[in-house]
Amino acid sequence: MLVQLAWRNLWRNKRRTIITLSALALGVTGIVSLQGYRESAFAQMLESITTQLVGHIQIHGRGYQEAPDIGNVVADPVTVEAVVRGVLPGVRPERRVLGAGLVGTEDTAAGALVMGVQAGQGSFTVTKGQSLTHAASAQPAGALLGVDLAAQLGVEVGGEVVLIGQAKDGSVANDRYLVVGLADAGTHELNATAVFLLLEDAQSFFGLGDGVHQLVLRLPTDDEDLSSPLAATRGALDLKALEALSWNEMLPELKNTIEIKRQGQHSIDVIVFLIVGLGVLNIMTMSVFERTREIGVMLALGTRPRRVLALIVTESMLQGVLGLAIGLALAAAILYGFGSVDLGGLASGDVMGIRFPTRVELRMPLSAAISAGVTIIVTMLVGGLLPALRAARLVPVEAMRSR
Amino acid sequence: MHRAVVAAVVALAAPLWASPAASPAPRVEVPPCPSATDAPDVARLVERTQALLQGRTSTGTMVMTITTPQWTRTLKLQTWAKGEELALLRVVEGGPRETGMMTLKRDKQLWNWLPRAARVMKLPSGMLGDSWMGSDFTNDDLVRGNSLADDFVATVKGTVDVQGKRAWQVSLVPKPSAAVVWGRVELLIDRSTCLPIEQRFFDEDDKLTRRLELSDFKRIGWRDFPTRMTIHPAEPGRQTTIVYQDIAFDIDITDDTFSLHRLQQGR
Repeated sequence: MLVQLAWRNLWRNKRRTIITLSALALGVTGIVSLQGYRESAFAQMLESITTQLVGHIQIHGRGYQEAPDIGNVVADPVTVEAVVRGVLPGVRPERRVLGAGLVGTEDTAAGALVMGVQAGQGSFTVTKGQSLTHAASAQPAGALLGVDLAAQLGVEVGGEVVLIGQAKDGSVANDRYLVVGLADAGTHELNATAVFLLLEDAQSFFGLGDGVHQLVLRLPTDDEDLSSPLAATRGALDLKALEALSWNEMLPELKNTIEIKRQGQHSIDVIVFLIVGLGVLNIMTMSVFERTREIGVMLALGTRPRRVLALIVTESMLQGVLGLAIGLALAAAILYGFGSVDLGGLASGDVMGIRFPTRVELRMPLSAAISAGVTIIVTMLVGGLLPALRAARLVPVEAMRSR
Repeated sequence: MHRAVVAAVVALAAPLWASPAASPAPRVEVPPCPSATDAPDVARLVERTQALLQGRTSTGTMVMTITTPQWTRTLKLQTWAKGEELALLRVVEGGPRETGMMTLKRDKQLWNWLPRAARVMKLPSGMLGDSWMGSDFTNDDLVRGNSLADDFVATVKGTVDVQGKRAWQVSLVPKPSAAVVWGRVELLIDRSTCLPIEQRFFDEDDKLTRRLELSDFKRIGWRDFPTRMTIHPAEPGRQTTIVYQDIAFDIDITDDTFSLHRLQQGR
């Protein structure tokens, strides 16, 4: 009854209602699609981080993140993995060895980041040749080179490289490897420096025994907040010997950038809804003012002020809900209509050692829809409540006399 | 390695040991040390020091001890050097993968023979500033030799007490045109013997970045040769010491000793 009445009232002045709805819908569309774009980009960044080098959480020897040292290892990764699997169901651990070296041929050499990875693991794509496998009698052992590094050294698949570095005990590590393939390691920097070896080969090269430098944990979650798995991991580890860090602790600048952009987004939201809210306040005030006599009559006929208040607020809320629905529909149409955005020149490639996708797959995040909804409802409630209170307080005799 | 270390020493105090390209003939007469004067002739000091540390050729055996906070290790090295341009060092005793490793200096470039890889690798010029075999000597120390010879202006600053000795403090400032990594080098020469006992290296902000101590002088022929050299880098807990077990100067060494082809065979 109340809703019906409010609905009918709305369409008594079609033009005004349509303008209000348009303002609301456009506001919602703008904010939700912007947020949708941004959150889609963040989600993909997060995915890049967690699926590429960094992972969700890493376990190191204590102090490694602060000052990486070839001798600072997780000495018994098998046991640590078992412990971690116990507290983080569904976790996928990856063991990694990282060390600096010099890779070259007789004539030329270049600085190398030597990365020991488990067979079938490692965040790289083999672009030529084959990946690292345990070939029983392979002598020399196989290596994958970053594509740009191979080009710099003039080495092809099937060629040979010499690796030299410093082992854990300070001695000179040196060995010869067969280039079994070339790899796109994910970033320009890595492509120009990375040498991938099988974990066991890298461990023996650097004289690490079973030790690894990084135990990368990937979790079955898209959640940005890793505080509870992190706490669980830390709780299960001997923190005198080990450290556990989440990606946002290892990449604090990135986390900050995301947070700052989000805050920027929120202030835009606030401003847009403030404008919309003031507009609604103005329109509803006009609408009530124009109907002063009518409301006076209603009150004189025995309509309770509370009911008048409810009517006006309902009118405002109806517009809010309708505007929200249209706005969300439009935003969804835009986001899914475009499907993806090519950032191309805008944000090309690598940020802080992570390659981010240049093409963002757009999705409408539930959080954006919910926050827009809540904001609209609150705005419309406040925007409608003030004129509604005025209407409810009208003295019937005076109201009926006004024109 | 003796040669290399001499090269290192020379690189450190380049202008003092500056010598013409032709190696000096063995010297038997050593000019008297002007101990009494506060302002000795810098050129004469240079001459003395150079005569002391350089021979036409040299070969020797030394023990290098590298100490870091994480580990300490000892390498036994054999060295050959001829003139300024040729040097070869060989790891006689070291870790299982490095014994037999050789470094050849030739034409101002360095090649390493890597015994486990059984290959030679040329050191890229960008790596010259890196540590040689994890020690506090850099590849640059080995390769540069006397190339800084003309790059410093030397002055005697005064007299200081070092290692319980009175020493002239010689300051070496690079000439503006010189490509020198150091902002300044200080050389301390024992007044009583005219022997160099310490060098100090300062970066461009005039911060002390490493010290080289020369000690345990032993009479080898006519020379008083420092058989112990210790580098103290700025990094705490690190040092590299070289102790000569034997060294001989001005013997015959064939050029073939320094052949790249030989190095490639691992011989």
